[in-house]
Amino acid sequence: MSGLIDLGNALWTLLTPITLFHVAWSMLLGIFVGSLPGLTATMGVALLTTLTYSMDRDTAILVLLCMYVGAIYGGSRSAILLNIPGTPASAATALDGYPLARSGRGRYAMGLATAGSMIGTLVAIVMLVMIAPPLAEAAISFGSFEFFWLAVFGVVISGQLTADNKPLKGYIAGILGLMVAMVGSEGIHAHVRFSFGFNDLNAGIALIPAMVGAFGFAEVLTAMWNRRGVLAVTEDKSDRSLPRLIDLWRYKFVCIRSGIIGTLVGIIPGVGEDIGAWASYAAARKTSEEPEKYGKGSQEGLIAAETGNSAVVPGSLIPAITLAVPGSASAAVLIAAFFIHGIRPGPLIMIEQPEFISTIAAMLILATIAMGIYGLSLTRAFIQVLKVPYAYLMPVVFVLCVIGTYALSQRIFDVWIMVFFGIAGFLLRQMKYPMAPLVLGIILGDLLDKSLRRGLTLSDGDLTPFFTRPVSACFVALIVLSILFNLPFLRRAVLRLFRRRGQDA
Amino acid sequence: MLRMTTADRMTAVVLFVLGVAMAAGGWTMDRLEIRQIHPASIPGLVPIILGILLAVCAIFLWRSTLQTTEAENEQVMADGSWLRLVLTGGICVLYALVLVGALPFIWATAAFVFGFTLIFSWPDRKNKLVAVAVSLLFGIGISYGISALFEHAFLVRLP
Repeated sequence: MSGLIDLGNALWTLLTPITLFHVAWSMLLGIFVGSLPGLTATMGVALLTTLTYSMDRDTAILVLLCMYVGAIYGGSRSAILLNIPGTPASAATALDGYPLARSGRGRYAMGLATAGSMIGTLVAIVMLVMIAPPLAEAAISFGSFEFFWLAVFGVVISGQLTADNKPLKGYIAGILGLMVAMVGSEGIHAHVRFSFGFNDLNAGIALIPAMVGAFGFAEVLTAMWNRRGVLAVTEDKSDRSLPRLIDLWRYKFVCIRSGIIGTLVGIIPGVGEDIGAWASYAAARKTSEEPEKYGKGSQEGLIAAETGNSAVVPGSLIPAITLAVPGSASAAVLIAAFFIHGIRPGPLIMIEQPEFISTIAAMLILATIAMGIYGLSLTRAFIQVLKVPYAYLMPVVFVLCVIGTYALSQRIFDVWIMVFFGIAGFLLRQMKYPMAPLVLGIILGDLLDKSLRRGLTLSDGDLTPFFTRPVSACFVALIVLSILFNLPFLRRAVLRLFRRRGQDA
Repeated sequence: MLRMTTADRMTAVVLFVLGVAMAAGGWTMDRLEIRQIHPASIPGLVPIILGILLAVCAIFLWRSTLQTTEAENEQVMADGSWLRLVLTGGICVLYALVLVGALPFIWATAAFVFGFTLIFSWPDRKNKLVAVAVSLLFGIGISYGISALFEHAFLVRLP
């Protein structure tokens, strides 16, 4: 109950004309970024972070959250109209959204997607308010041993779930990210590692230039490399864009279940909105009364995918705020933005800034309302937005990549880092290496390194506490099991072992 | 055309070398004995572990290419335009690594946006003079707008 009162108070405090103005422009910008294929939510949040340096703390967080929510939602526009997901999060939306648009019901499909996104975000906000405070309290008892395994768990699970078909490539991306984090002054003895004599590397590789490169410049290269889709040209016959209440009522269980699945996927470190959407879509299809319609314009499938991906946004903030472990790639940028604006995410957040979680929830509610208003009123305008030629859009994006990274600490070296990560990110992506574990590795590298060495110092070099403390033991079991069952030859070996035992018995 | 197995094998070699180099770097790193730190907290510990893990993953990656069937062996970088990629990469790298820093930001940006827009809008425009004029105006407008935003609103000293 006190959580709801705090939420009400936070919402009341935020309701000022200037706040609403910030919500209005940043949400519009977010939907714009999300709608355009080639611009992703992570890229939008990373670029916008570079524009928030001079804002006060709450305004900066508010506009970044609106950008995040808006971009994930905006991706559904191009998924429905072009069959090209505006962001990877909307890939599942395209499956049923595009056939609906082709059959002349594009506006209604966008209305349904809007309603689904709103419901998903709201379900996840409720879970954020319920789960985050107790999780933060539980995490206070975490020591170096637990934080070490948490970091390993994050990289392993993210690597496994975001890789296309080979989890191995996800693990490799995660290890590469951790290796990047090893560059520069380490956190215990302040010894400079792998700087190769470059003074600029002494402080390490900053997250924002690396992310702007991997998600900004790499996206520019990918967008110019790929061919663009064709707008769904069929005349729109939908009589309305506002979804019928009876439709929403019919799919109430799908909405709530997808919201919960999306939130839970969001909580898993580094596993983002795309997985949230696919998981919700698969669950809805499995339990549907008309699974044959999926992929051919099913309203249920469209709602499940959109609810699922939007619920990941608040879900991914749960570990980001309480453990400083990002639930998605965009949340990783948000963590960097928190630090820039003087907020220290982690278990102590409930002690240092107890009102922070309610403030975030209130901001997300405002973002959801703005999303609903724009989503239902500007359906035609978005169709025009999708026609912006890349020849005009991409140079602007790249200029922002350059000046945004430079503005962080006003040194050209960061621009070089951005270019390096852009080219490396593009090549890795072409070879099916996921980017999320790489980013997670960069952000968790320091935590992993410090926790391992601090833990070993505390136990005088003894490894036992890493395996015997209850929470550590659970993490170890989860990590070992997930790796075992995803390396093909190990999986075969384990199955052979079990079979032999069965025969012996 | 480059196949995924070939690409994976090439990457596996690079990753293996990188892993061994990282592990060796960690092994030879200063152990700070002079500061009498705990031997378990040497700065090279995690780099050694990561280096070994990457080398092991590289071996697994190589192994996995031996079991890939022909159907799974898709082409790498086959579904796009090399010309557009090389042009984009070339112009962007030229701008970020050479022009920014050598020229005042506003001029470097105007030249980059003008060049980028002109090259990629050239094939679509029938009247080439209009293409040049629109690109020029767009380049100057965007350059002035972004420079003014960062210089006056965000108080950044531009490169």
